[in-house]
Amino acid sequence: MGSYLIRRIARTLLVMLGISLLVFVFVRSIPGDPATAMLGERATPQSVAALRTQLGLDKPWFFNPSNPLDAQYPKYLAALAQGDLGSGIKSNIPVRDELGSRFPATAELSLAALFFALIIGLPAGILAALRRNSVWDNLATTISLVGVSMPVFWLGLLLSYFFAVKLGWLPPSARLGNESTLEPITGFYVLDGILRGSPADAWDALRHLILPAIALGSIPLAIIARITRSSLLDVLGQDYVRTARAKGLSQRTITLKHALRNALLPVVTVIGLQAGALLGGAVLTETIFSWPGIGSWVYEAISQRDYPIIQGGVIFAALVVSLTNLLVDLSYASLDPRIQYR
Amino acid sequence: MKKVLFKNVLLTAALATLSSAGAATLVFGANGDPVSLESANITDGISILVQRQIYDTLVDFKNGTTDPVPGLATSWKSNANATQWTFNLRRNVRFHDGTPMNADAVIFNLSRWWDKAHPFGFRDQGRTFEIVGELLGGYKGDPTAVIKNIVKVDAYTVRVDLNKSSSVFPNVIGSGYFGIASPTAIRKDGAKYGTPASKAVGTGPFIFQSWRTGDRVVLLPNKLYWGEKAKVDQLVIRSIKDASQRLNELKAGTIDFTNDLTPDALRNIQNDKNLVAVKRPSFNVGFVSLNNRNEFLKNAKVREAISMAINKKEIAEAFWNGLGISNASFVPPVLAWANSTKVPTDYKFDPAAAKKMLADAGYPNGFSIDLWYMPVSRPYFPTPKPIAEAIAADLSAIGVKVNLKTQDWAKYLEDRNKEPGFDMYMIGWTGDYGDPDNFYSAYYGPNASDDINWNPPELQKLLEQGRAATTQAEKAKAYSQIHEITYNAKYRIPMVHSNPLSAARTYLKGWVPSPLGSEAYNTISLVGKK
Repeated sequence: MGSYLIRRIARTLLVMLGISLLVFVFVRSIPGDPATAMLGERATPQSVAALRTQLGLDKPWFFNPSNPLDAQYPKYLAALAQGDLGSGIKSNIPVRDELGSRFPATAELSLAALFFALIIGLPAGILAALRRNSVWDNLATTISLVGVSMPVFWLGLLLSYFFAVKLGWLPPSARLGNESTLEPITGFYVLDGILRGSPADAWDALRHLILPAIALGSIPLAIIARITRSSLLDVLGQDYVRTARAKGLSQRTITLKHALRNALLPVVTVIGLQAGALLGGAVLTETIFSWPGIGSWVYEAISQRDYPIIQGGVIFAALVVSLTNLLVDLSYASLDPRIQYR
Repeated sequence: MKKVLFKNVLLTAALATLSSAGAATLVFGANGDPVSLESANITDGISILVQRQIYDTLVDFKNGTTDPVPGLATSWKSNANATQWTFNLRRNVRFHDGTPMNADAVIFNLSRWWDKAHPFGFRDQGRTFEIVGELLGGYKGDPTAVIKNIVKVDAYTVRVDLNKSSSVFPNVIGSGYFGIASPTAIRKDGAKYGTPASKAVGTGPFIFQSWRTGDRVVLLPNKLYWGEKAKVDQLVIRSIKDASQRLNELKAGTIDFTNDLTPDALRNIQNDKNLVAVKRPSFNVGFVSLNNRNEFLKNAKVREAISMAINKKEIAEAFWNGLGISNASFVPPVLAWANSTKVPTDYKFDPAAAKKMLADAGYPNGFSIDLWYMPVSRPYFPTPKPIAEAIAADLSAIGVKVNLKTQDWAKYLEDRNKEPGFDMYMIGWTGDYGDPDNFYSAYYGPNASDDINWNPPELQKLLEQGRAATTQAEKAKAYSQIHEITYNAKYRIPMVHSNPLSAARTYLKGWVPSPLGSEAYNTISLVGKK
C-alpha cells in the first residue's frame, strides 16, 4: 500500500510535467496572442509587435541559442518548481493567489452539486431498480434523460428566472448578498459563516448555493441514477443474492447489506469521473450564476489568451482530478476487500 | 391618546426612514470584473468604470455630454499653436490617503505612464500603459510621441510640451484612462498597486474598500470630496457576465442598475413597472470595411453598388430595436458638427440602381466575395451573425454572392491586418474622448490598421490639420473635408450609431449616462428603495 502510494504520487508528478508542456504548447498554438487580445479593435501590426516584445512573448519557446536561460518554457518550469505559477498578464494578480480564492468557490459548488446529485440520484436509481418497470422506474428514467440532455446554461437561467425573479425565494446569482461582510476563512462560505459564528451569513451563503448546485448537479444526478439502477439490477440477478433470498433473508437486508454495497462500486467510479466533469461543467454554471470560481476565470483567460492563467488553471485542475482519482481508487478497497494494491 | 399614537407613528416612520437611509447601498451590475484598478494600464470598459468612481481626471466632461469641464485642473490654456498646454490645478484636494494632490503628484502620474524608464512604472512586472501609445502616439523619446516634456511651473501648475500641435490634448488627457492616483500609495504598494492586494487611492467621490475578484468591488463615499458628494452609504459593483442574468437580477431587485443589455431586452424592461430603460447617448460606429486588395472591391463602382444595395435603415431597425440610428457619417451624432453639408445625410438605398452600377462596372452577373462577421457582441454590433446574414441577403439581390465567415476574436483581429486581409468585414469603434480625431485617426490615421490598403496622403494631411486646429471653425473645416473624401471613397460603410441599452429600478434617481461610456455615480440617489 505504501509503495503503491509513492508510485502513484510519482506518476502524478510526471503527468503534471507532461500537462505543463502540453498546455504550454497548446495555448501558444492557438492563433492570436495576449497582445492582440489586449489591444482589441485598436490592434495594428506595429502596436501588437511592440506589446509582444514588452510582454516577453517574442522570446523563443524552448531554447534561445544566444542565452539558453532566456526562453519561455524553461523559465516557466523553473518558477513552477518553486510553486510560482506567474501572474495574470494584464491584471498582474498572482495566479496562485487567484487559485487560492477561486478554488474553494468551485469546490464548494461542485461538492454541493455532487451532494444534490447523490441524495436524489442514488435513491431514484435504487427505487427504479427495485420497482423495475413500474411508474417509478419510468419516471426516474425519464427525468434522468431530461437531465442529461438539458443544456446547463438554459437550465441555469430558467431556475434563476423562476425561483428568483418570479417567486423571489432565492437570489438570482452571486455567492453572497450585496451587504454581506463575511470575511472568508476557508473560502467555503457556508462553512465560514458557521466558523465566524454568524448563522445569518451561513444561511445567506447557502441560499446562494442552491440554484447553481441544482444546475450543475443535474447531469451527474441523471448519470448516477442510471448507473445505480443498472448496476443494482445486475447485482440483484446474481447467484449470491438468490442464495441470500433462499436463506430467507428479508428483501431489505438483501438490498442494503449485500446488493447495494457491491452495486456501488461502479457508482463510485462514476463519481470520480464526474469530479473532472464538474470542473468542466462549472464553466457555464459559474458564468450564469456569477460564481467567482475557476471555470469562469479560465474561460475568460482563454478568450484573452492570458497564458499564465490558462496554464496555471489547467495544471491545477489536472492535479485535482488526479488526486480525486487516487482517492476513488483507494476507496475501492473499503468497498471490495478483494481489491489489492500492488 | 390619539395624539400620542400619531406621535408614535411619526416617530416610527422617521426611524424607519433613518434606518433605511442608514443602509443605502447602491448596487451596480457590471458585465464583468475589472482587470486592474491602475489608471492608464487599462483599456476595458469595466476597469474604466470602476476607476471613474475612485479617481478624478485633470479634465472632466459635463454630465451626459462630451464637453470638457474642470476636473482636477480648474483651467487650462495653450500657446498660440497648441504645442504647450498649461493646467492650473485645484487647491486643497487630498487623496483618500490624506496626501495632497498637487503638481508633483500629477507629474508623477503622467511621467510613469509616458516615460518607460520611470522607476515607478514597473514595466518589468507587465505594466504596459498601452493606451499612452494608442492615444498619445507613443512614449518618451518615440518619434511619434505627442508629449515632448512635462514641466512643473509651480506647486499647482503643470505644463505639458508637445512634439506637434494638438488642440485635443485636454480631451485626451481627460478620458477615463487617465485618473490621477496617489504617488504615496504607488510607491508603497509597488508593482502590486492596482491589484486586489492593494488599495487603489485617488481623489474621486468614492473610496476603495475591497475587491473580491470575479465577484464584486465595494466602495465607500468620500466624505471630503471636493465636488458633489455621493448620496449613498456604499457602492457595490458586482460582476455579472451574462446579460440575461443581469436582467434577472434587476427584475429581482438584487441590483439597482446595469449596463450593456441586449437590444431585445427593451420590450421586457418596458413591460416591467419597476424598471426604466435608459438609453446611453450614442458614441460609437459599427461599419463594414471593404478591402482595396480585392480585385472587385478595387473598383469604385462596385463599392458604390454594394453601399447602395444594403438596406441600412431596415437593418438598424431590426437588430437594434430602435436603439440606434443609421446615417452616412463615420462619427456619432454628438459630433455632427464635423460632418460636411455636401455629403448626403444618408446613404442611398436603391437595389435597382446598384444592380445597374454593378453591370456598368463590368459585373452584370455579379461575383462571389467573403464577408467576415465578428464572433463577439459589441454595442455597435450586438448580434453580428444575423446582421451579416441580412447584409448578405441584400447583396445577393444584386447578384453578389456572399460567403459568411468568422473565427475566434483574437485571430479575427490579427488576420484582418495580415495581407491580404479580409475582403469585407464588420468592425466598429467606441469613442474615448469627444473629438472626431478619435474616430477618424483610429481607422484612417498613420497608426491605423492596414485592413483596406487605402490611405491617401491628403487624408493624412487633413487629419494632421484637424488635430492642430485651434478654433472650432478650422477643425470643422478639416473634418468636413475628411468626411467628403471618406464618404466618396466608400471603403468603410457606416451601418449604425447605437445607443447601448442600460436600465434601472424606478427608485434610482440622478443617473446621467455619459456618451463616453462611464460616469461617476456620486449624482445617484435611491428614493424609497426597499
